Amino acid sequence: MDFFKNLWQEFKSCPVGTVAKWQDQRFLWLVMAAASIFLILVAHSLFQNYVYMKPCEQCVYIRFAFLCMVIGGLVASINPQNIALKIIGYIFGFWGIIQGIMYSIKLNKIHHAAHSDNPFGVQGCSAEPSFPLGLPLDKWAPDWFKPTGDCGFDAPIVPDGVELSSLQQWLVDFYADGWYLIPSQHLVNMAQACLFAYILCFLLLGAMCASWILKMIQSKKA
Amino acid sequence: MKLPTLLAKGLALSMLVATASFGFTEGTDYVKLEKPIANADKTLIKVFSYDCPFCYKYDKAVTPVIVPKLPEGLTFRPFHLKTKGKYGVQASELFATLIIKDQDNGVKSLFDEKSQFKKAKMAYYNAYHDKKERWDAGAESFLETGLQASGLSKADFEKAKEDPRVKAMIAEWEQSYDVAKVQGVPGFVVNGKYLIYTKSITSPDGMVELIKELSTK
Repeated sequence: MDFFKNLWQEFKSCPVGTVAKWQDQRFLWLVMAAASIFLILVAHSLFQNYVYMKPCEQCVYIRFAFLCMVIGGLVASINPQNIALKIIGYIFGFWGIIQGIMYSIKLNKIHHAAHSDNPFGVQGCSAEPSFPLGLPLDKWAPDWFKPTGDCGFDAPIVPDGVELSSLQQWLVDFYADGWYLIPSQHLVNMAQACLFAYILCFLLLGAMCASWILKMIQSKKA
Repeated sequence: MKLPTLLAKGLALSMLVATASFGFTEGTDYVKLEKPIANADKTLIKVFSYDCPFCYKYDKAVTPVIVPKLPEGLTFRPFHLKTKGKYGVQASELFATLIIKDQDNGVKSLFDEKSQFKKAKMAYYNAYHDKKERWDAGAESFLETGLQASGLSKADFEKAKEDPRVKAMIAEWEQSYDVAKVQGVPGFVVNGKYLIYTKSITSPDGMVELIKELSTK
């Protein structure tokens, strides 16, 4: 308890300096990597494999964006005081976040078009995925990156002859209309939830990066 | 002339121009295909797949509306994409067979209630998208859905799909993949050359206007 109290005191007395110091340490970078891995695992192991909600095209791109953040976090945490490693961390982190924001916005548009009577204004469904830099991730790791769901839809589809456990059955029923934060109200779809997650990451990583730069300018002046 | 009057006149003129022409541009509204579809002059080709939600949406609300409004002499032709969907190959075989059947039966439009192609197509859309059928039992069960809806027997299908016209159509549909790669499905191509960017379509009427303009290019 005292440990957190001290951290908070330190942060309060000098926010920029404290955040600048933290981003020189491993834990924030590891938190970013761990949170991103966690979200990918939840999407893959829980929703895709356990509840049979197949990933759509934009959904696998969103996984890719989180993967970039994992890479950034891990590279920086090798040694956050090494400028080169840290810059690689920031580049991968921000790149993942910005890509993720764009994918989420697009998925949200597709989701709305797919769930309304007005199909206009979106591109439709791709014949096959295309990842940045032409990476054939869907060939390397099809279970993780091959879109097997329909674009704009993420409702569970249980294959014939599968015996569901009672928990599985509950989750399948719970998300019967697709993933929503509050399924009964159709409130906050997967795209919007991802968008919030990316914006939060952007603010946190942005604060880290800004503090670091400010601190460098300050120390140069001094 | 005073500046405000000048501006007002300029604005009025530009609005007139804007409303008179729809102002379709290459790169935003359509793209010229690098590999044009062969022998497709005077056609509107729709590349589609049974396993694509937006193809279903377009086939419910858009394509049947625009096809009757097409310019005279422009023929509508569906191309099924066999590479999308688990049973894309089987669907292509059945669809091509049924389109030839419709022709032989003198069905004028593929949107006619009598069209066996339409019956099978809508049955697949309905099963896949509304009932979430995935035909886990295999290709036979997939075929069964379309055969039942169109009223074709398995034996008749096996015989009819050997028709050289059916085989030629399936071979022609191989070109679907290069079109679908550009911006996905559904993909609408005018005269085999101009692919419409689905994203830029805002209404069926606007789509008809664009098709008209492209068909005269």
